Parts: sequence; structure tokens; C-alpha cells
Amino acid sequence: MESLKINYKNIYYPPGGILMWIIIFLELITFGMALLAFVYYGTENATVFHESRMELNTVFGTVNTIFLLTSGFFMANAVHLFKENEVKKSSLYFKLAMLGGFLFLALKSVEYYHKIESGITLDTNMFYTFYWLLTGFHVIHVIMGLVILVWTNYGMTKKNSDTTVEDIEACGAFWHMCDLIWLLLFPILYLFF
Amino acid sequence: MEKSLILVYILLLIVTFTVVCMVGWYGSSDVVAPLIMLFAVVKFLLVAFQFMELKKAHSFWKISLTLTLVLFTVLVISLK
Repeated sequence: MESLKINYKNIYYPPGGILMWIIIFLELITFGMALLAFVYYGTENATVFHESRMELNTVFGTVNTIFLLTSGFFMANAVHLFKENEVKKSSLYFKLAMLGGFLFLALKSVEYYHKIESGITLDTNMFYTFYWLLTGFHVIHVIMGLVILVWTNYGMTKKNSDTTVEDIEACGAFWHMCDLIWLLLFPILYLFF
Repeated sequence: MEKSLILVYILLLIVTFTVVCMVGWYGSSDVVAPLIMLFAVVKFLLVAFQFMELKKAHSFWKISLTLTLVLFTVLVISLK
């Protein structure tokens, strides 16, 4: 079978679609502004932010970064294979990408459990208000991404599937967006102060 | 598997470990903080351009994303 070709050089057709990229920009700007506010308050309350940052588990943060990067790597391969009409292999990589997402959520749950057990909540201090809100909203995006991945994977493997390359790319772009947000959250929350 | 994707993935892991080790050894001083952000920018661009295939897109998207990221990074470093 022939590989499918899309003219990505057209301004209206970035890989993943123009609507997905508008969403990606809006999400990045929203998280970016929240992170700027976090850094601003961090410089105002340097001691509190440093002490709170030291309480975070950097190993958990690092392992979660690896989970998301690995998941993104499998997703990129899944998109590539789908374009080559290797649907079965692509589906396998989709599932591996999902596994990365589930592992991320599992470890995040353990981290949240430890924090709640230690009595650390939204009200503990300014650092933790940002920590809970930023990581919480990111987790919601990961859960949404997983729902999209499961649904798309189901659609692409069923008989007489009408799933297109554009669908797979849009799904991949959303999943990678979760990576991008985390790649900014992790260094600023876990390492910066 | 795409060879280029494997190389990018390995590079992403190396950068991640480098940053974590750097902060572990030297702490997050005023010198290390910009480096943390620099490595974050490298990882961000690798994922966007290689995994998301932004490298194939129209220059508008490449420039917009890079400029947004650079502006954000400059603001974060200057605020610190």
C-alpha cells in the first residue's frame, strides 16, 4: 500500500491540524502564565518556596518525566506506522503509549497520597497552592488524553475503520501536548527553587 | 521504529538525567536556574519538532512556537 501524503507546508495544515494547534497554543499560554506567577511569588517568598520544593520527591518527578517521554516516543512511532498503513503495529505502539500514561497517573497518585498523608493540601502555603493546581490540571489533561487514545485506538482497529491519518495525528498532537506541559512544569516545580 | 525518533528519545533521557544530576550536585543557584530552563527548552523543542513533526510544518508554526517559548523562558529567568 502507498504511504499517505499531506502537504504540511500549507499554513492551514500543521501536523495534527490547525484546530489542535490553536488548542496547544492556548494551553501552553495558560500554563505558561500560571508558571510565571509561580516564579514571581517564588522570588517574593524564596525561603518558603525553597523549603517546599525540597519536600517534593524529585525521583518521582524524574520517573514521571521518563514515563511521559517514553509514552510520547511510542506515540510518535504509532503515528509514523499508521501513515505507512501498518495499522496493527501502530495499534501496539498506541497501547504502549497508553501504558506510559497509566504509569504516570499511578505514580502521581502515590505522590499525591504521600502529600495528603503528610497533611499537605492546597492551603499549606503558596507553593503548594500552585503545586496542586498546576499538577492537578495537568493530570486532568493526561486523563483526557488517555480517553482520546483509548477511543482512537478502538476506532482504528475495528472492522471497516474510517479513522484517517488526520485523526491519528490530532490524537498524537494532544498526547504530546501533555508532554510539553510537563516538560515545563517539572523543572520549574521540582528543580527551580 | 524510526532511527531518528530513537536518537531523539535517547537524547531526551540524557538531558533529563543531566539536569536532575546537576541540581542534585550544585543545587538550584542563580547560575544553575538558567541552565535548568535552557535544558527544558531543548527538550521542549525536541518533542515539538521531532515527535510532533513540527519540522515539516509551515514556518509560521515553527517560529510562533519557538518565539512563545523563548519569551516565556526569558521572563522566567529574569523574574528569578
